[in-house]
Parts: sequence; structure tokens; C-alpha cells
Amino acid sequence: MVEERVRLCRHAQFVETIDRSALDCFTNSPSVGGVGGHYGRVRAPLGAPDVMVTPLRRALPWLVVLVFAGLPWALARYQLSILTDLMIYGLFALSLDLIMGYTGMVSFGHAAYFGLGAYTSALLLLDSAVPVPVAMVAGALVAALIAWPVGYLSTRATGIYFAMLTLAFAQLLYTVAYKWRSLTGGSDGITGVPKTALWPSGPSLATPRAYYWLVLGTFVIAFLICRAVVRSPFGRALVAIRENERKFLTLGRDPRGFKLCVFVISAAFAGLAGSLFAPFRGFASPEVMFWVLSGQVLMMVIVGGIGTLIGPAIGAGVFILIQEILSSYTEHWMIFTGAIFVVMVIFLPGGIVGTLRRVAESRAA
Amino acid sequence: MPAILETRRLSRAFGALRAVSDVDLAVEPGELRAIIGPNGAGKTTLFHLISGVLPPTAGQVLFRSADITALAAPARCRSGMSRTFQITSLFPELSVVENVRMAIQLKSGGNYRLVGGGRRLTETERQARSALGFLRLDDRAGLPAAALAHGDQRLLEIAMALAQGPDLLLLDEPTQGLSSEETAATVDVIREIARERELTILLVEHDMDVVFNLAHRVTVLQFGQVIADGSPAEVRANAEVQKAYLGALA
Repeated sequence: MVEERVRLCRHAQFVETIDRSALDCFTNSPSVGGVGGHYGRVRAPLGAPDVMVTPLRRALPWLVVLVFAGLPWALARYQLSILTDLMIYGLFALSLDLIMGYTGMVSFGHAAYFGLGAYTSALLLLDSAVPVPVAMVAGALVAALIAWPVGYLSTRATGIYFAMLTLAFAQLLYTVAYKWRSLTGGSDGITGVPKTALWPSGPSLATPRAYYWLVLGTFVIAFLICRAVVRSPFGRALVAIRENERKFLTLGRDPRGFKLCVFVISAAFAGLAGSLFAPFRGFASPEVMFWVLSGQVLMMVIVGGIGTLIGPAIGAGVFILIQEILSSYTEHWMIFTGAIFVVMVIFLPGGIVGTLRRVAESRAA
Repeated sequence: MPAILETRRLSRAFGALRAVSDVDLAVEPGELRAIIGPNGAGKTTLFHLISGVLPPTAGQVLFRSADITALAAPARCRSGMSRTFQITSLFPELSVVENVRMAIQLKSGGNYRLVGGGRRLTETERQARSALGFLRLDDRAGLPAAALAHGDQRLLEIAMALAQGPDLLLLDEPTQGLSSEETAATVDVIREIARERELTILLVEHDMDVVFNLAHRVTVLQFGQVIADGSPAEVRANAEVQKAYLGALA
């Protein structure tokens, strides 16, 4: 137990960082129970049959979606807006989990792609008043397009070097957003971004409810796509890369292609989240590309449960709710949120979802 | 018959240290060749050079008469050589069967199926289970690889290499860290593999009993150089080998 905590703390500090390829010349690959071990025994081993699937369990996620779809009738306007915010960040955190949880690549610069999506959709909606879904697709595509060369260069490195490269590129993009005043409005950003229609002269998305349903729908579809990806042969390969990259290499494939591919997919979903954010808040400013947001989304993933897909979305929810509640009581709320996350990382190894699964498994055993 | 694997003046230096120096090797198809030598003789480095994990500083590697010196490790694996590592190298948190399945998937393709691919997963898993059956690991297929005993982990790594259906199997000290019973079992397994599959095996080994039990031919390395090459009996009788290696043990 203690060992597992230490492992998780280590993980939170990103100590899994030595560039192993640099040591490759002299050492053999990481031995069993070494590097891969610090995810704890949280997930069921892949390939094991899931004996727990009952009809209720199958239906449960859809019931949850149904409840969420009905919430606009039960919640106040303000609460609905928090919930919308929460799902946008949830989608963002989910996108990071693809590379961080499944492939073992810790990115310190994921906000860049969120920001690219936000700016793209803000500019398109303001200048051309295209339907929101068009802005969303464009936001995802632009994020993916920029992520391609960044990923190509970053995935040459591993561990802390990869993290530093992603951070450097993100800060570079942040600077561009800050300095390119004629396009981005500089530090003021782009304001007055409208929520247009669902399709040309279609239903308006300007009401909180309509926009909430758009975000909910997008989240559900994005989640299903990501889940299909992690369960595909490609997704299995990603997990193998996380577990032992050197072994992967000698089994016949270059991991870099896989890492680039998942990096671009992840950036596209981050861009999708950003493209929902700009019309929702009505603005895009350089802060949405800043490293602070990259750090926050990392926390969401870790708190929620790394490598569980739904966990990071839950982590985003917890993160936003704690922030909302505490900030209404004290202006020093950041001290308390910091303390809460330290406690959660230490006492909930594997995050919220990881801990729940472990409890469920020990009950079943 | 032309050699399936050949090295020509193959060398690798680490700074001033010449770990492998002008090694000429020719392995016949179907042969079970052992490479022996004292600690630090360059056996594992030679393996890395053959499998493409390390680039050589000089010399060539030929596989089925084609020069593969410029090929990276993944391409060499796909061309038909599979290897194991001296220090067990697995996907520790994945199940035993998923380890083998992944070895099959990576070799045989379909790796960029982004969604779906369920049939491909089922098919490769079926193949993986039969490969596990051959090494009698099928009863532990669902366990995480890290939960296996050390000896079984070494067997699993062989199972992964074997499941790829290679023409050349490179085994780096398969009995390393095993008890004498486990060693005997592993020797039986390797002999069985050699008999039942039409493949060539290159074996780095420390344990002399294992080598003289199994190998058709033995190559002796010392200080990165080949000092003897011949049948087990010839090598055993070689004075220089006795001085360099067997003498050191006695």
C-alpha cells in the first residue's frame, strides 16, 4: 500500500523521466515490476474477460447520460453554466489521458491545442458567423495540424525531455497568440464570440440549455470515439509502448509513429474542447494557451484516474467544483485547493476512478 | 548451404573499449549455435548488433545473404529474427496472453486499426493462446506478466519471440537466474523448439552444461574477439578456450 502511494507520488512528480534511450547502449530494458509498476495494480489486465458485465452495468452509462440530458430542467441557469464548463474541461482532460494514461507520454503543453481550438472557433464565429459545429471541426483540425510537426519533433524524445519539448512549443504558441495583435487581439484576446446556430439558419445555440446539450452530445460522442481507439489494436499497442518501449521496438514496430499518431488525435480532441470553450465564454485570450492551464489539466487527469478515460473527466468535474465552492468562501481558495489535491494524490493512488475500482475488486474477491 | 546469418568484421566500440571487435560469424540454417565467453566478452553487445538494438561502428550483418546493417531493429524483426533479452523484458502490467498477442500483432500488422479491429484481436489472441500452450503457460494466461515467477517470465519471453514465427531465434542467456530444475526444463524446451520448428537458434549462454547439451556448434568470444569456433567437443578440447574461459571457472 505504502509502496503504491510512493509510486503514485513519484508519478505525480514525473520522476519517470530519465531518458532511457540514452542508457540503451549499456543496459538492458527495464526489468519486470520496475518502470511499468508505478501505475499500481489499478486496471484489470487487458485480455482478461470482464465477468462483471450485467445488463444493469451495461445500461448504467446510458442512464447517466439520460440524467445529464435532463438536468437543464432541474438546475438553475448558473449551475447549468458550471456543468457546461465542467464538461468542456472534462473533454480536454480526456484528450490528455490518451497520451498520458495510455501511452505514458506526459505533456506539459496540452493547453496549446485547447487554445488553438478556442482561437480558431472564436475567429470563425466572429468573422464568418459559421454554425458552431463547423467552428468545432475547424478547431480540432487546426489543433491537429499544428500538433503534427510539434509531435514529430517532440516524440523523438522520451520522459522529461518530451515533457519539456511540449512545454517549450506550447509557450511558443502562447507567445504568438500574445504578440500577433492583428489576428488575436494580443492580451485582450477576442471578445464577443457569438454562439451561432447548429446549422445554417438552423436552431440557435444561444440559450444555455441548447449549448449545454451541444456540449453534452459532443462529450458523449468524443468519449465513445476515444474508447473505441483505446480498445482497438492501435490502442493496445499504445499501452504496450507505455509498458516497455524498448521491447516494443524489438518486436517489430517503431513506436514513434504510434506516438505521433496518438499525439495528433489527442490534440484534435483538445482543440475540439477549446472550440466549444470560446463561444461558451464568449472570448479567447492568451490565458487559454498558458502553461498554468496545462498544469491544471494534468491535475485533473491524475486526480480523476490516469489511464481510465472517464476518470479524467470526473477529475475535471471535481477540480472545477472544488474551485467554485471554495472561491465563494475565501479569496485564498488556491491554498485550500492545493492542499486538497496533495491529500488526494497521496491517499487515492490511481485517482478517484482507480480507487473506486480497487475497492470494487477487493469486495468482489 | 549459404549461411542464414553472417557477420563480417563486425565491431562496436564504446569510447576506447572495443566491446566487439572484427567478429566474423556464419550460422547455417537449422543450426543451434551457442556463443560463450567470460563476463564482458561482448556476447550481449554482439546480440544487440545482430538484432539492430545497437548500430555497429564497423562491419556488416547479413541475413539470408542480404545486407541488413542499415536496417533498424523493428525492420530486422519483421524480416524474420526475434530475440529475447538477458534481463527479462516484458509488458509487466499486461496479461500473459496479451504479451504474446502483442508480439504477434506487432509482427503481423494491422497495428494502425484505430477503431474496431475486434476480429483481428480475437484471431491474434487465439494464436497467442496456442503459443502459450506450447510452453505450458496457458493456465496462467490471464495473470499480469509481472505476477509470474521469474522462471515463467523467462519462458514467456521465449513464447513471445517464438509466437512471431521467426526464422532466426536469438536467445540471450535464457537460463539466467534460474534454478537447476528450471534450467533443465528450459533446456528441454529449447531442444523441443529446435526439433519441432524449422528455425535457426543463436544462443548466448553462461551455463556450460547447457551449451554442451544443446549446441551443434560453439563460438567462443573473449575481449570482443572470436578465439574459437567449432563443435562442442572441439571447443572443449581447445587449449586457448580452456585457458581463457574454462580455466577461469575451475
